[in-house]
Amino acid sequence: MEKTFSKNTFSKRLNSMLKVDTRRLFISPFFYIMVGIALVVPILILVMTTMMDGTVSTNPQTGAETVMHGFDYVWQILGSVSATGGSEQAGMSMDIVSMCNINMMYFAVGVLVCVFVCDDFRSGYAKNLFTVRAKKTDYVISKTIVSSIGGGLMILAFVLGSIIGGGASGLSFKMVGFNAFTLICSIISKVLLVPIFVSIFLTMSVIGKQKSWLAICLSLGIGMFLFMVISIASPLDATIIHIILCCAGSVGFAFGMGAISNAILKKTSLV
Amino acid sequence: MNAIEIRNLTKNFGEKQALKGLNMTVPVGSIYGFIGENGSGKSTTEKIICGLIHASGGSVKLYGKDHTDIDVRAGVGVLIENPGCFPNMTVWNNMMIQAFNLNIENPENEIRKVLTLVRMEGSAGNKYKNCSLGMKQRIGIAMALLGNPHLLVLDEPINGLDADGMRIMREVLVDLSKRGTTIVVSSHILGELEKIATHYGIVRGGKMIAEMTAEQLEKSCRTYILIGANKIEDTKALLMRKYLRVEQDEKGFLRVYDQTTPEEIVSYLYQHGVTVNQVKRDKIGLEEYYIDLMKGKGAN
Repeated sequence: MEKTFSKNTFSKRLNSMLKVDTRRLFISPFFYIMVGIALVVPILILVMTTMMDGTVSTNPQTGAETVMHGFDYVWQILGSVSATGGSEQAGMSMDIVSMCNINMMYFAVGVLVCVFVCDDFRSGYAKNLFTVRAKKTDYVISKTIVSSIGGGLMILAFVLGSIIGGGASGLSFKMVGFNAFTLICSIISKVLLVPIFVSIFLTMSVIGKQKSWLAICLSLGIGMFLFMVISIASPLDATIIHIILCCAGSVGFAFGMGAISNAILKKTSLV
Repeated sequence: MNAIEIRNLTKNFGEKQALKGLNMTVPVGSIYGFIGENGSGKSTTEKIICGLIHASGGSVKLYGKDHTDIDVRAGVGVLIENPGCFPNMTVWNNMMIQAFNLNIENPENEIRKVLTLVRMEGSAGNKYKNCSLGMKQRIGIAMALLGNPHLLVLDEPINGLDADGMRIMREVLVDLSKRGTTIVVSSHILGELEKIATHYGIVRGGKMIAEMTAEQLEKSCRTYILIGANKIEDTKALLMRKYLRVEQDEKGFLRVYDQTTPEEIVSYLYQHGVTVNQVKRDKIGLEEYYIDLMKGKGAN
């Protein structure tokens, strides 16, 4: 007598996988710690750099004086106006204002994704998961979607923290060379860039498997090359075009890197 | 139809060949005791069945379909090495995640049912990391039972369980088997396995060296007459004059494997002035059979 098995359609499988990952992420204290960090970091940066603004430090050997420059206005922590170009763009030069900005959050998203994915393998949960799930595609898609939502929330927490920090430090909220609409477009573009990084971090995580430290090192190493893209792709004077481009880039990366992650999971041992 | 049919399975880990053409047949509804020494290839075989590692060669069929078939695999419950739970989550949340994973329609009821089955209903709110080894093992079983699987693959499920836990486990597995679930269970506690297994597979050095039903094992196991006497060495020498196969066991009793009766032996010893203080007909258990097989003695 032939045994019959219920059909597991792609949508059914993806739906259940999304439920699993959403629950996993949103009941994890680590996620809330990361969101908390994303909220607190801009407050600290803005308050501290405003306090240190104009401070002169002297090199005791050369006698050379260095003047500390803080942010001129709050939104600088989120990016810069594309018209200013080159070195003034966030992440493009080496001064404290350019280093301490929203770009850091993409590193933090990397840590979140690596811990989130590697925990599946470290806890042994991957055995339960992949025994009943012969297809790895739904795992990769679900992880990309849920991690992107988590990462997006971290970016939004950073934006919120920046507004709170701006208020606390007394910095100006003036908009020079951009307006509220382009600022919103810029924030949306930054959120839409998250899947690009998430898909890379996910690939590194499935390479690292139980070794989250390896996944984090690989993710941050490779993610570093893409940091330039953030400031170019989502300037403060962003338009709908930027949103579309970021969206297209994310979809492209999610498919490309997702296919690589899928192939790695298929070809390698899962325990 | 067979639940599992493995033919010429090979697996290489670099230079090391873990499986060397293993064949295995597990009938539907059976409790298949999978026995072997450490490193003999049991866990590797189980991991291949569950699709967790890839075979280097050979074929694995589950219910007549390739083991990579998504529909067949959706009905496999597994407990290999550890239950695979997140330590900082509660038992309930861990179970819930696996229930979502299996797309169970009414997860709360199903979780309550399996937790009750393994007597863990009162610990659902505990964090997994705070559970004892025995509790963790029961949670692992409960997790494997979620979704009413048609095939259960359990690697050392009774490790860490107390006597009561082992009894519960036995009852659960026998009950599942009666309802048509096929169970592959590997264990080093052969005495426990002997109480439930309907089929056996003995693996050594990556090869299946014996596969049999419980009835066949029963027939293969040598019967003997156990003799307890005062001067054991003298008695053994005396018995060896008349009988071909006389052995002394680790408890100091003599075993006569020849075709004879207890009455005949007692009478013979009495005639030679030996007082027998214990005599009974017995047979070697799975554990001894296995040890004999591993030593290359085999069964008669």
